[in-house]
Amino acid sequence: MKKLFALLTASLSFVAVTAQAADEFHLYNWNNYIAPETVARFETFCKCKVVQTYYGDNEEMLAKLAAGASGYDMIVPTGNALEPLIKQNALTQLDKAQLPNLKNINPAYLNTDFDKGNQFSVPYAYTITLIGYNDAKMKELGINVDSWSAIFDPTILAKIKGKVTVLDSANELMAAALKYLGYSANDTDEAHWQQAKDVIMKAKPYWAAFNGTSYIKELTVGNIWLAHGYSNDLFQADQDAQSAGRKFHIRSALPKEGAVLALDNMVIPKSAPRPDLAIKFINFMLDGKNSSELTNLIGSGNPNQAATQYIKPEIAKNTAIFPDKAALSKLEMLRDLDSKKRRVRNRIWTEIRAS
Amino acid sequence: MYKRSAWLWLASIAVYAFLYIPLLIVILYSFNDSKLNAEWVGFTLDWYRKLFHHEEMMQAAGNSLVIALIASACSTVLGTMAGFALHKFPTRLLQLLVLTPIAIPEILMGVSLLIFFVMLNLTLGMVSITLAHIAFCLGFVAIVVRSRLAGMDESLTEAARDCGATPVQAFRLVTLPLIMPGVIAGALMAFTLSIDDFVITFFTAGANASTLPLQIYSMIKIAVTPEVNAVSTLLMGLTLLLIVIASKLSPNALRS
Amino acid sequence: MTKPARPRSLARWLISGPPLLYLIIFFVVPCLIMVLASFRSPGDYGGLAPLHDETGKLDLSFDNYTRLADDFIFVKVFIKSLMYALTTTITCLVLAYPLAMLIANSSKKYRDLLLLLVILPFWSNFLIRVYAWMIILGPQSALSRGLNFILGLVGIEPVTLLFSGFAVIVGLVYVHLPFMVLPLYANLEKHDPALLDAAQDLGANTWQRFWRVTFPLSLPGVFAGAALVFIPALGIFAVSDILGGTGGIMIGNVIKQQLLETRDWPFGSVLSIILTAAALIVAGTAAWVARPRREANV
Repeated sequence: MKKLFALLTASLSFVAVTAQAADEFHLYNWNNYIAPETVARFETFCKCKVVQTYYGDNEEMLAKLAAGASGYDMIVPTGNALEPLIKQNALTQLDKAQLPNLKNINPAYLNTDFDKGNQFSVPYAYTITLIGYNDAKMKELGINVDSWSAIFDPTILAKIKGKVTVLDSANELMAAALKYLGYSANDTDEAHWQQAKDVIMKAKPYWAAFNGTSYIKELTVGNIWLAHGYSNDLFQADQDAQSAGRKFHIRSALPKEGAVLALDNMVIPKSAPRPDLAIKFINFMLDGKNSSELTNLIGSGNPNQAATQYIKPEIAKNTAIFPDKAALSKLEMLRDLDSKKRRVRNRIWTEIRAS
Repeated sequence: MYKRSAWLWLASIAVYAFLYIPLLIVILYSFNDSKLNAEWVGFTLDWYRKLFHHEEMMQAAGNSLVIALIASACSTVLGTMAGFALHKFPTRLLQLLVLTPIAIPEILMGVSLLIFFVMLNLTLGMVSITLAHIAFCLGFVAIVVRSRLAGMDESLTEAARDCGATPVQAFRLVTLPLIMPGVIAGALMAFTLSIDDFVITFFTAGANASTLPLQIYSMIKIAVTPEVNAVSTLLMGLTLLLIVIASKLSPNALRS
Repeated sequence: MTKPARPRSLARWLISGPPLLYLIIFFVVPCLIMVLASFRSPGDYGGLAPLHDETGKLDLSFDNYTRLADDFIFVKVFIKSLMYALTTTITCLVLAYPLAMLIANSSKKYRDLLLLLVILPFWSNFLIRVYAWMIILGPQSALSRGLNFILGLVGIEPVTLLFSGFAVIVGLVYVHLPFMVLPLYANLEKHDPALLDAAQDLGANTWQRFWRVTFPLSLPGVFAGAALVFIPALGIFAVSDILGGTGGIMIGNVIKQQLLETRDWPFGSVLSIILTAAALIVAGTAAWVARPRREANV
């Protein structure tokens, strides 16, 4: 009967945990994508409790929402994940009257192709996909990393065979290959896709792995010398390398052919239990100081002009995180594809990965 | 008792080493003075300190434990019944039904359960997660119990019946003790599966409840810090403690 | 062995009823939703297209299935996964058997402790256990350096252990080992030592005692363990994602991609159905081969 007793106590704690408290703001976000100080300040500001749940990937979040999950007051999708949400009519229109801080956002990040007029979304933060490298090793080998050729050109790759990783994402890798070939990252011409595939297949034997998660670690430890990765991750890698006392820096290079800019946005789903808290949160995060805290924490790009004064100087000067106008013009935001194109792309990706 | 040969000891120790070296690294690195789980730098208790202040992580660990306890208890009961039924009254339907949840890709099961729960208007949370866990753990218990029953000496149960025991008594006093190692093995498997499940839990979790695997996997893109090692070490220790206490309180339960 | 017919069928429903009911509600019905989805078209932006298209006609077809016949690549990936799963199962069996024997033969005092020790590592998080293997197999680890040193002495090129097929197998075996140990133990535990004594009296040596007595008796446990390793190993994707090199994804990864990146639920559903059917066929065949033989050889 011990089992019964144990069951009883467990069930009681069960009930206690599932009992809902009033005035809760449910934020569905990437992990470590908001500074703890900011959360605490918002809780005092709105006199509510912030309950965070996380996803690690846009697609996971989209699948969950498409299957009907609800209960989230705010979600932070990237641009190409925002498109399907808008098209599926899953988001509430934003009442601009309640967003006086919207004027803080750099106009370059407003009025994007996937949400003209910012009816449903407001920019939150951005990252750039570029190439990170171990500067000591690249100097030693005489490789100048300034172009996508560092991961696609077999003559360069031969010198760093087995020490390169690329992102495990069809969208990112195809975009990089298309840019390398001189096309737009959003090019949907299937002939161009085949060319991109050929470029990838030629370079593949020199790569160590398709890795989107532990490449920071591998770079910092020195197992990998060059990685296709995200600007904030590579910023993190350099910080970790310095605190571990390494004799090298992890530098980031924005390839001259251009790269992908991923803009994450705040949106309110139609099924949100507390849209009032959500709109308060958006305006709160549009404030310069609040917005800067994330950038100072993880080195993410910040579209908020009022935040610049609060950002640490070494981050604000980092051109991989805050590109200048010239570099910005070469960056593209990825667009979503329709279902037929997605199938073709997946077919190509499976062929790339299966051999 | 049979004398065990030296090679058996050697082979077993080698396998235990294979099982434990990664675990020792996990525990060791929870004291590592480096954010990366990559190489040893120095000793620190910082991560444990950070962990105790990390309310979310602790809550998630607690949720995982509660869900695992309830799900493994329920699936052990249902699974033992299923295993018994598979042995005594085997039907194609039951065999198929028990094996298929193990065979089906977790991600498909996760998405379909989510759609199903939404159709039923069931609020996603601890309850939905537990229901999902029971569904896929049940089969594991059933298969182990069935294999234990296969070849079990029926004459003992027969003898009990002949001595006047009702079927329930015969089951409780004769069969159950005989299959207990199978039931325990199944319960342990169900607990293990539930406490570490990610895919199905991800889809059936709500906006409130989080479990430890969900917390940890969402960290995968940034950095899985040694805080995760710390919480894992603690969870293991806690579970071990619970089992030791349980076995001391009911010394006859685990004995076969 | 005669029991009255009526109580028997009541007992039958009382015992098989609850698990059957539970599985029908929480497994069959949800799966039927996805089986139906395999005949539908993917929604343009995700999820599924509406059941009735613009003209009001029912949008159901076998398109997703015929696509499988046109695309050989998925079969190739599937066969690769089969090989990995098979290798994992056999390796698990070889490693688990001595351990299960030791535990089963131990005195009651130690038996539960040894069993717990087997499963304890698996209550830590999957991800950090696999990360631990990244450390053990990484190029700067003691194992890698030691191995490459020895290979260097013999004149062979240094090998990379991490990001390879070898690393994936190690990871798969590690993750599935307890699911082979536990069923084997549950079976071996009930073996009557008197049988082995009798065999020894008749002149059998250690190997013969194992191969002619213990192993045949343990076959139900072997097949239970093999099923509980092979079937999940077929559909797993996380291990190859972390430890694998560029050398090839498994069918589990492909299915995940259909449901997530490509948002092609119908095709993902088709692949899942095929995978499940294949796994069940293999399990069914193995069970048939291992069926208890009425003419007892013991």
